[in-house]
Amino acid sequence: MLGYISRRAYHSIISLIGLLTLVFFLTRLTGDPSALYLPLDSSLEARAAFARLNGLDQPIHVQFLQYLQNLLSLDFGQSLRQNRSAIEVALEAFPATLKLAVVAMTLATALAILVGALAAARPRSLFDRIAGLVSLAGASMPDFWIAIVGILVFAVGFGLLPTSGTGTGLHWIMPIAVLMLRPFGLLVQVVRGTMISALASPYIKTAQAKGMKRRKIIFGHALRNSLLPVITVAGDLATGLINGAVVVETIFGWPGIGKLMIDSIIQRDFAVVQSTILVTAVAIFIVNIAIDVLYVTLDPRIRY
Amino acid sequence: MTIKSVHLIAGVILAASFAGHATAQNASEINIVLPEQPANLEPCGTIITNVGQILSRNVVEPLTIIDPKSGQAVPGLATEWTQTDPNTWQLKLREGVTFHDGAPFNAEAVKFSIERMTSGKVTCSNIAKFGAANLTVTALDDLTVEIKSDTPQPILPTLLSVVMVVSPNTPLDEAVNDPVGTGPFKLASFTQQTVVLESFNDYWGEKPAISKATYVWRPESSIRAAMVQTGEADLTPSIAIQDATNPDTDFAYLNSETTALRIDAGFAPLDDVRVRKALNLAIDWEGLAQLFGDDAQRASQMVVAGINGHDDELAAWTYDPEQARSLIAEARAAGVPVDTEIELIGRNGIYPNGTEAMEAMMAMWQDVGLNVTLTMLDVNDWLRYLQKPFPDGRGPNLLQMMHDNNKGDAAFTIPIFYTSEGSYSTVSDPALDKEIADALAATGEDRTTKFQAIFNKVHDELALDIPMFHMIGYTRVGTRLDWKPDITTNSEIPLANIGLKN
Repeated sequence: MLGYISRRAYHSIISLIGLLTLVFFLTRLTGDPSALYLPLDSSLEARAAFARLNGLDQPIHVQFLQYLQNLLSLDFGQSLRQNRSAIEVALEAFPATLKLAVVAMTLATALAILVGALAAARPRSLFDRIAGLVSLAGASMPDFWIAIVGILVFAVGFGLLPTSGTGTGLHWIMPIAVLMLRPFGLLVQVVRGTMISALASPYIKTAQAKGMKRRKIIFGHALRNSLLPVITVAGDLATGLINGAVVVETIFGWPGIGKLMIDSIIQRDFAVVQSTILVTAVAIFIVNIAIDVLYVTLDPRIRY
Repeated sequence: MTIKSVHLIAGVILAASFAGHATAQNASEINIVLPEQPANLEPCGTIITNVGQILSRNVVEPLTIIDPKSGQAVPGLATEWTQTDPNTWQLKLREGVTFHDGAPFNAEAVKFSIERMTSGKVTCSNIAKFGAANLTVTALDDLTVEIKSDTPQPILPTLLSVVMVVSPNTPLDEAVNDPVGTGPFKLASFTQQTVVLESFNDYWGEKPAISKATYVWRPESSIRAAMVQTGEADLTPSIAIQDATNPDTDFAYLNSETTALRIDAGFAPLDDVRVRKALNLAIDWEGLAQLFGDDAQRASQMVVAGINGHDDELAAWTYDPEQARSLIAEARAAGVPVDTEIELIGRNGIYPNGTEAMEAMMAMWQDVGLNVTLTMLDVNDWLRYLQKPFPDGRGPNLLQMMHDNNKGDAAFTIPIFYTSEGSYSTVSDPALDKEIADALAATGEDRTTKFQAIFNKVHDELALDIPMFHMIGYTRVGTRLDWKPDITTNSEIPLANIGLKN
C-alpha cells in the first residue's frame, strides 16, 4: 500500500508541474493586469512602471524561469491585490472551505446512505416516492436560489438564523444545508439504484433463506457491497467542494478558496491563481488517495 | 430518534439562536456591509471605491476636502493655500495633529507622503489624478509646504483631496495593509472577513459619536439589504434598485456617475455632425428612462451638477425621430455613406439593465434607418476600445461607458474625452484643443464659464457623444443611524459624519 501511495505521489507531482506550467501560460494569455489595477486615466508611463514593479515587463519565458526558480525556494510570488505572499493568501482561505466541505459531505453521505437504503428496501413505497422527489429536487434546484430563499425565510422572516457570515454555530446551518443538498440528492439516487441491484443478488436470497434479520441483510450485507460506486460518486462530489463552493461562499460571505480563486482570475492576480490551484490540487490528490484506501477497506479483493 | 432527543436538539438550536442574537454590540459600535472586499488597505489607493469607503477621512485624511454641495476644495489637513506663481502653491498645515503612531504631523510628513505617492515604487492609483505633472515638495517651515509643478496647476487644491497623508514611519518603497494616518479612527484589524476601525483618542477634531466600526462584505445586494433589515448591519451602500423597497431606510442619491455613448467620429458616417445629432434625436429618452429607475436624471453633459463647469442651462436632446430621419436624409443627399454598418459596443454588467438599454437603443436607431449592430464585451476586451491605443481594424462604432467625476472640477473629464491627446478621445480638433487648454489654465469664474462653453459646443455644435443619464445610487441605512448618503458616498463614508439616534 505504501508503495502504491508513493507511486501515486510521484505521478501526482509530475501532473502538478504540468498543471502549474499550463496555468502559468494560460493566465498570462488573459491580458495585461495593469488595465485593472490602475485607474482608467493612468498614463502609459504609470502602466510601464506597474509592469516593471511586478516583473511583467520581462519576456514570458524569462518570467516562467523566474517563477520556477522561486518555486524551488518555496517562494510562490506576491499577490498583486493584497500586497502579500500569494501562498499565505491561499492557505488562509483553504481551511474555511475544507471545514465546510468535510461537514457538508459527511452529513450528505450519511443521510443519503440511510435514506437511499431505506428507499431501496421498499421500492415504490410512499417513503421511496418521497425520497425520490426530495432527492431529485435537491439535485436539480440551483443553489443560489435556495440560498437566497433560505435567507429570506429563516433570517429575515423568522429571524432564527443569521443572514450570512461566520462566528457562531448558527452561521454554519444555512451554508451547510445549501451545500449538502445537491450531493445528498445525487447520492440518494446512486445508493437506491445500487442497493436495489444488490438486494436482488443471490447472496441476499441465501441470507433471507437462513432467516437473517431484514435490518442486518440491508445494512450489514447489501449496503456494504453497494458502497463502492457511492464512494466513487461521493469522492467526485467532494473534490468539487474542495475546489471551492463558490456560490455558497459568495452569498454567505464564507471566506473560502473558491471565491478567492474566482476573484483572483477576474482580477488577473496571477500568483494567487497559481497558489490556489496548487493548494486545491494537493488536497484533491490526498482525497483521491483516501478514496483508494477506502476501496481496499470496503472490498478486500482489491489489491494495489 | 426518541421524542426526548428531538426536544433536546430543538432546545440546543433555540439556545444557540438566542446566543447568536445576544451578540448585539455596544450602542456606539456599528457594522457596515460593503459590496466588495477591499483588495488591500494601501492609502495610495483611496480612489478605489472599496478602499476609499473604509480609509478615506476615517484612517487617513487628505490635505483638502471637496465640499459635496459646492464642489470646492475646503480645508482638510491643509488650512490655507495660496498660488505664488502658475506652477507653485504654498500650503499652511493644521496645528496640533498627530499620527496614530505618535509621530507629529508636519511639513516633512506631507513631503514624505507626496514623495511616496510619486516615487513609482508603490502602485499608486491616486497619483493618476495629477496626470503627467512632476511635483517637487519643499518644507518651508514646520507647518508650511511649497509644492512646485513642472506644468501650471490652477486646481492644485482640488487635486490635493487625493493626497492622503501617512505617517513618516510608513515604508517608502512598499505597499501596506496597516495604514497609519491622522484620522478620527485607527485600524484595529484587517482579516479576510472584516476590517475593524476604532476611534483614535488623540484626534485633533471633534470626537465622533461612533466608537468602533466593523466592515464586512457581501457581493449580493439582496443579502446586504437583508442584513440591515435584520439589524446585523447598520449601513450598506450601493444596493440594487429592486432591493430599495423601504422608504424609511433606503435613500436614493445622485452618485456622480454619468452614462453615455462615445461616438467614434473618426469613421464615416459618424464623422458627419448630422448623423451624430440624429443618433441623439432618435432615442425615446422617456421610454429608456424606465430602465434606469425613476430617480435617474437625463444628462446633457458628462459631469453632474455641483462639479465646476457643469451648465444647468444646457438642455439635453429630446426625442424627435422625424428630425433624426430628415438629418439622415440630408446627410445621404450630401454623399455621406449613412448605410454603413455602425457597431454598438457594450460592456457586460457595466450597470443594471445596461444590456437591455443597448438593445433598446439599437432598435431605435434601426427604426430611423441607421444600420446599427450590437456587440457585448467583457471588461478587458471593452477596455481596449475605451483607451488609446484603440484596436486596429475597427470601423464606425459607438461605445457604452459610464464616467465618474466626484472631484469637483470638469478638468477630470473634459481633457480625457475631448482633446486630441485624451486617452478616451476619438476627436482631433485643434480649435477645441486650444479652447480646452485655455479653460484648464483659467481660474475662478472664468474657468467655470470656459468649461461650460466647451460642454455647450460639444453638445449643441459638435454632438461628439450621446449623454444618457446621471445615475442614482441607493443606500440602506439602519434606523439607529442619523446619516444620509451624498455624491461622495461612492468614494468615502466618513464615520465622523454619522450620528446616532437616541
